[in-house]
Amino acid sequence: MNRVGGKTVAVMALAVGLAGVLTLSGTRMAASQGTVLTAAKTDRVVPVTEPWSSFWNRVPKVSIPLSAQQVTPPMGGHRWTLEARAVQDGERLYIELEWADPTPNRSVAAPQLFTDAAAIEFPSVAATSVPALCMGDPNATVNIWQWKAAWQADVHRGFQGGVRHRYPNADVDGYPFHEDPAFSPGRYVDNPFSATDRTSPVDNLVAGGFGTLTADPAPVVQGWGAWRDGTWRVVFSRPLAVGREGNVELGPDDWTDVAFAVWDGAADERDGMKSVSSFVALDVSPKPMPWGPGFPYWPAPFFVFLALWAGFAWMVIGHLPGKGRT
Amino acid sequence: MPDVFNWQLGRAMGYRFPAAYPKRQFAFVFNINRCLACQTCTMACKSTWTFSEGQEYMWWNNVETKPYGGYPQGWDVKTLALLEQANPGGQVWDARPAGRPGSIYGVFKGQTIFEAAQAKGGQEQALGYLPTDEEYRSPNIYEDTARGRRGEPGVYGMGTSLPEHTTWFFYLQRLCNHCSYPACLAACPRNAIYKRPEDGIVLIDQARCRGYRKCVEQCPYKKPMYRATTRVSEKCIGCYPRVEGTDPLTEGIPMETRCMAVCPGKIRMQGLVEIDPRTGDWKPDPENPLYYLVKESKVALPLYPQFGTQPNGYYIPPRWVPREYLEQMFGPGVEHAIEQYLAPPRELLAVLQLFRATQRIIFKFEIRKGPKVRDVVIGGRKWSMYNDTVIGYDSAGNEVANLSVVEPMYVRPRKYLNSI
Repeated sequence: MNRVGGKTVAVMALAVGLAGVLTLSGTRMAASQGTVLTAAKTDRVVPVTEPWSSFWNRVPKVSIPLSAQQVTPPMGGHRWTLEARAVQDGERLYIELEWADPTPNRSVAAPQLFTDAAAIEFPSVAATSVPALCMGDPNATVNIWQWKAAWQADVHRGFQGGVRHRYPNADVDGYPFHEDPAFSPGRYVDNPFSATDRTSPVDNLVAGGFGTLTADPAPVVQGWGAWRDGTWRVVFSRPLAVGREGNVELGPDDWTDVAFAVWDGAADERDGMKSVSSFVALDVSPKPMPWGPGFPYWPAPFFVFLALWAGFAWMVIGHLPGKGRT
Repeated sequence: MPDVFNWQLGRAMGYRFPAAYPKRQFAFVFNINRCLACQTCTMACKSTWTFSEGQEYMWWNNVETKPYGGYPQGWDVKTLALLEQANPGGQVWDARPAGRPGSIYGVFKGQTIFEAAQAKGGQEQALGYLPTDEEYRSPNIYEDTARGRRGEPGVYGMGTSLPEHTTWFFYLQRLCNHCSYPACLAACPRNAIYKRPEDGIVLIDQARCRGYRKCVEQCPYKKPMYRATTRVSEKCIGCYPRVEGTDPLTEGIPMETRCMAVCPGKIRMQGLVEIDPRTGDWKPDPENPLYYLVKESKVALPLYPQFGTQPNGYYIPPRWVPREYLEQMFGPGVEHAIEQYLAPPRELLAVLQLFRATQRIIFKFEIRKGPKVRDVVIGGRKWSMYNDTVIGYDSAGNEVANLSVVEPMYVRPRKYLNSI
């Protein structure tokens, strides 16, 4: 009994000690387990609209496991992996996501067409109570940045909604009252989905439980995606602080939880039909970014030097006495 | 999943939300026997609600030729096949009266679209599929195409003797059924679809919708439709300003929808029925023509009641069509409904005159008895016809229809035959 009692006391003491250390250090269990995505400081200009720029290859990446959303209908998605990179420049936070997708789906111009999309979710208030992963809860809302390939097509090429975007040879006599917004009710009631003048492919959303997702009309989150050889890369960018209700506020030395989701348009994925990650830690770090291997530039000056030296040596040898022309 | 009582199935069933019923319910009766597929209803709806960009393919009201036609193509057989796949051989009715009030067609023993989705693991609220734009693009495909092959006995040219033609087709008139347990409403993860407490009309909140198309996928009647120019879904709104009496044209008195009011074939009657707040069933109201047709005479039957949404569109089945097909479409009440229609009781014959007699919604009718006109034999039985008069009243109690069974006729004297 004494031994058992001693063990129990020891375990409890350890637990209390650990809790004390975690509390003093500000470490939160939910965020401290496993993966940490570090957004180190950079002084360079971050290429937001060039997800395939060599800049991003040099930012250290972490793998984030995704699984099917199985909490609430409609369910969907599958088990696979996403890669994430992050940097900050003291003003803005930049997160790049990279995932494999054999087909880019950029159109929502027909009933059966769904867009590829990706989202980043933060607790609205960083480093306090961790909200429910799925859409948060009423007392702890979440801030979601959702990029859509279809929205990007609108920004890039103009609104892609008309029948001629789907059927270029379609012929229509005319549309009565075409200028009257009442006949496009989604637009008439300012549904952000119906907007034709989108300036960012990223929607900024706040949710406090299932079915409460609400768009913040201010386009504070910018971003751009590019698909190449079976892979999407998407960059999200937002000022660290925006001072808007429900939006995550970050400092240049801060950290929070972050979760990710990806939708595959080719598999009709939308809404809850998606692959999701758990919360992982995002460390907004003031330390300078440790530049990864990137492109190996260092041999170039070496070879130039070698070539010059060899040339010089050849000239010297060619002019040595006794080696003259016969 | 809460249990709700579906009186069309004669039993309780699982549904996403607990029972909550409107005060009155939008409902309609279509007499398939009279329809000639002129599509006046279709064009009235189109020219009122869906003439804008992005709505080119939308026909909130459509008329299709059965058995092959469908808008979107194959909408009903695809859902029937999904249900059969989910519950092989089990989609059957016990047509014996169940003995409890409300179960007028017997008891459905199979799975509804909600129950089949639960049985599959509950990943969705209801079993369904998403049509492609190709499936919507020929709304009147197989128009007038009959079942049966040319040149074979009992088929084209020879298959038209009653009681069941072996060569047959019929027109099915469709719009949103404003169901009592709407699958679109259950399917919406945004809770953007709602059923109005005042009249049971089902609407999509255009501000909340995020274009997920779960309603398009899970409505078995395929009446919510996606609009690519607003990136959200739209559906039949039951011409609610008319039904409310707020459209200036109505002068404050509830009026039938556009598609109902224009019908030249006089096949349509639409109205509002009172709902019992406890059971969700129709309150006994034998003076309401819809109540009389659906609950008393039972001449009009719900469309695919086995889907489980308790649709509020009712049909007088076409009398020449093989019963097996009709029972798949309208449930076990088909035989009785056709008997009623072939030799209508005195009251039914009078109420049938009210179809399209006025644009106003008829809340109450009254029959003034008239003399016997003739005796005939129908199906081996004597049937007597009476020249009764039926009077319809609107919501304010104004007389808005007054018709006799025998249409008044004037024969011009012989000496004026060629005069103008």
